[in-house]
Amino acid sequence: MPQYMIETRRLTRRFGARLAVDDLNLRAPEAGIYGFLGPNGAGKTTAIRMLLGLIRPDAGEVHLFGEPLAADRQTLLRRVGALVEAPSLYPHLTGRENLEVTRRMLGAPRALIDHALEIVQLSRDADRRVREYSLGMRQRLGLALALLNKPDLLILDEPTNGLDPAGIHEMRDLLRRLPAEFGVTVFLSSHLLSEVEQIASHIGIIHGGRLLFQGTLSELQEAHKAELTIGVNQPERATSCLTDAGWGVRVRPDGMLSVPAKTPEDAARINRLLVGQRLEVFHLAPSQVSLEDIFLTLTGGKADERRAA
Amino acid sequence: MSLLRVLHAELLKLKRTLAFRVIFVLPLLVALLQFFALLRSKAFGADFKLWETLPSNMLAVWAVFMMPLLITLETALLNGIEHGDRQWKHLCALPVPRHAIYLAKFFVAQGLTAASTLVLCVLTALVGLAVMRLRPELAHSGSVPYGWLAKYAGLVWLASWLIIAIHTWVSIRWSGFAVALGVGIGGTFFALFAASASAGEYYPWLLPMNVFKGERFTTALLLGVGGGAVAALLGCLEFVRRDVA
Repeated sequence: MPQYMIETRRLTRRFGARLAVDDLNLRAPEAGIYGFLGPNGAGKTTAIRMLLGLIRPDAGEVHLFGEPLAADRQTLLRRVGALVEAPSLYPHLTGRENLEVTRRMLGAPRALIDHALEIVQLSRDADRRVREYSLGMRQRLGLALALLNKPDLLILDEPTNGLDPAGIHEMRDLLRRLPAEFGVTVFLSSHLLSEVEQIASHIGIIHGGRLLFQGTLSELQEAHKAELTIGVNQPERATSCLTDAGWGVRVRPDGMLSVPAKTPEDAARINRLLVGQRLEVFHLAPSQVSLEDIFLTLTGGKADERRAA
Repeated sequence: MSLLRVLHAELLKLKRTLAFRVIFVLPLLVALLQFFALLRSKAFGADFKLWETLPSNMLAVWAVFMMPLLITLETALLNGIEHGDRQWKHLCALPVPRHAIYLAKFFVAQGLTAASTLVLCVLTALVGLAVMRLRPELAHSGSVPYGWLAKYAGLVWLASWLIIAIHTWVSIRWSGFAVALGVGIGGTFFALFAASASAGEYYPWLLPMNVFKGERFTTALLLGVGGGAVAALLGCLEFVRRDVA
């Protein structure tokens, strides 16, 4: 069994002078949901296109299921289902006929069409023309196309783009079911942390073409864990005292001190140290940093911009 | 095998499309034009031979105007359905060789133009037979020259492969009708000037007509078929190497 379903090694792609993907080392483990996060223009779609062989990297390699994509693209893609940006559908054909087009190309059994329609709950509308479909139905049909060949790996680029809140909820529930019920590993990109944090087991954060973080959500939180906020009667003395003890101290504008203490034991140790120096500690609490704050800090976004989006 | 699978899928895509209807519409236009021209003709000379004049007129109009127009429309429509929702990215992410996707488009365009040319042959026979009934002076024009019709319709089709290859590449390379239509109209328009020039022997849009000209016959056939095959392969090579946006 390969260690990673997707692994990229120093993947790089330029468009003219612009470096769209820079030295990217992705590692998506099996049977989970990997959220590939980054603001618009971060390089997500370019990276996904390289994962599928739609565009060629300038440097680096893509490995799927432990095998290099360049060596046998077709065999590897037989185990992959993909939905890149908006679904590619033929509006003059029915939902079922759209699936039939892809089925014929894959040479897959006819029964898979009904199976895919059931998964995305489109069986009832399968014989309606796609031009009559709502955006949510189109997106689900796009997902059915990706699931048609019972893939081991599903690569989805912004699968909830353009959907209303109900559609987003529906899609999220659908995606959540896939690893558990069908053993599919899902790799999905999004520019919204809120969309990914509820379903992803692993995340990768990309910005400016570079991978800034990769791991589980708890590892992300751990890496950017809250600092300890300390209120003390003599901040200057407390600062030198803590610095002497080896802590990095930041004095906040409100006079409180921030110390990167990660565990409750650290907090107790700091409290003991300060009280032992006859300082009066009146506030000692870990300040909460949300995942969103971490994401924004990493990607250099501003909370106001995110809220507007 | 992959190519056959892609061709099978292409046939389904044609369902309910204008691309399918056009193969009947264009020959019908030529047939109606010829039918009314013959029907309303005031008098026919003693040397008028219906089964020499009608088939050659029909095929001449077909070779010079309708075939290039048909190719322009068919390739633009066939590949336009892939540009609409940017289906290329879906097609190229499937475990199917890219060359099969491209060549299937070329072969379907060939198939549709062949079908349309066949419809033209059937309509030629029907127009002639109808005129023989409606104009008593032509009643004894003899039988339909099926052999001649089939031979020259086939030659016109073979000589048009190069135009099919050019338009397949153009309509896959650029989305929207504008570029394809521009190439089609430009190609046909310049054919009017190139016809009398010596270079007209090699001009792609004149090749279907050149099969009727003894001195240009061989070039028309060789360049049409050979040039078409080479152009299709070059277009295919470009498609295989290109980034899919």
